[in-house]
Amino acid sequence: MASNPMQQFSVHKIGPEIKIAGIDLSFTNASLFMVISASIILLFLFLGTKEKKIVPDKIQLIAEMFYTFVAKMISDTAGSKAKPYFPFIFSLFMFVLFCNMVGMLPYSFTVTSHIIVTLIMALFIFIAVTIIGFAKHGFKYLSIFVPTGVPAVLLPLITVIEIISYLSRPVSLSVRLFANMMAGHTMLKVFGGFVISLGLLGGWLPLGFSVALTGLEILVAFLQAYVFAILTCIYLNDALNLHH
Amino acid sequence: MNRFLSLILASLAMQNNSFAAEAGMPQLDPTYWASQAFWLILVFTILYISIAKFYLPKIKNNLDNRENRIKDDLDDANKFNELSELKLKEYEKIMEDAKKKVIKIHVESKDALDKDIQNKKETIEKEIEKEILKAQKEISDLKKNSISDIQKISENITSNIIETISGDKLNESSIKAAVEDISKKNLGKYL
Repeated sequence: MASNPMQQFSVHKIGPEIKIAGIDLSFTNASLFMVISASIILLFLFLGTKEKKIVPDKIQLIAEMFYTFVAKMISDTAGSKAKPYFPFIFSLFMFVLFCNMVGMLPYSFTVTSHIIVTLIMALFIFIAVTIIGFAKHGFKYLSIFVPTGVPAVLLPLITVIEIISYLSRPVSLSVRLFANMMAGHTMLKVFGGFVISLGLLGGWLPLGFSVALTGLEILVAFLQAYVFAILTCIYLNDALNLHH
Repeated sequence: MNRFLSLILASLAMQNNSFAAEAGMPQLDPTYWASQAFWLILVFTILYISIAKFYLPKIKNNLDNRENRIKDDLDDANKFNELSELKLKEYEKIMEDAKKKVIKIHVESKDALDKDIQNKKETIEKEIEKEILKAQKEISDLKKNSISDIQKISENITSNIIETISGDKLNESSIKAAVEDISKKNLGKYL
């Protein structure tokens, strides 16, 4: 079991089976780690906002840093019009970040390493952004597919490319996060397996790799959460400020 | 080395077996997709609502409070700065006025003193002049008196000398004339 690097991604039921209208909605280890990640975020924010000090203590400072970090990210990429979507982007960033980070703990489960999870988030963002775009600009939003300053000969080709790139947004957004998380965790597991199988004599090299990879994976965990949030901001920017 | 290779091969074989057993990636097994979607939406909705309704306003409130506090403090500092500048100007004005006053008093008192000194000098000079005149008059009176006294004494001395030398008593008037004649000749030297 330990030697199978994909084993860590398997989902299994915890507790009784919950079936609604013939669909299995049982509580699984994936659900458990979603709840754990969300609980850690809420606990962290609770501690970070418990005391409203003028001079903040450490945890309050970190909470405020997250706030200003996401706020700056949104205002830099999507401008002031994106302010109403700040809570969503903040929640999204925190959720992805904490799911990735909790997944770094040994024996834990990485929620974001499942394509279905990232795909649902990406699809929600894609559909919401499209709705926002049409609600703000009406049919003029379709001009996003027709860039200005392109020669007339190339225009049909460019438009087709733009449409394909727009429609592939949810796929690229979800697969990027899912693939990064899965690949990283698989690699960690493989090197961990090598440490065991090569034993005291040859295990030191993969162990060193394992340590280095753990550092890299923590970076990737943060980076992918950041990329996920900033791409959402960029898509939102396209929908809010129509200029192509 | 052989042991090393066989271990890797064995582990790879085991992996392949389990891959076959679980049909590759567990992510692509749709058994729990609905469950994951359901729990994801549920958990994320709860997270979103509590963040949006509760925590973010709190953090924003606190950040705004801090910004306002800093702004207020800066405003206060500016106000106090202006006030101190005003006070400094006031102080400088007072100092300048005082300096002017000092100069005025100095000049006035100098003038008054000069006048006083001048007056006193004049009166003293007048008094000195008076005294000098008086003294001169006294001196000349004394001189005049002394001349007549000297003449009388000279006459007496002369008559006495002549009497002692010749034994005769000379005519007083002729002695007087002789003494007068000599004293007139020599008096100029002393007067």
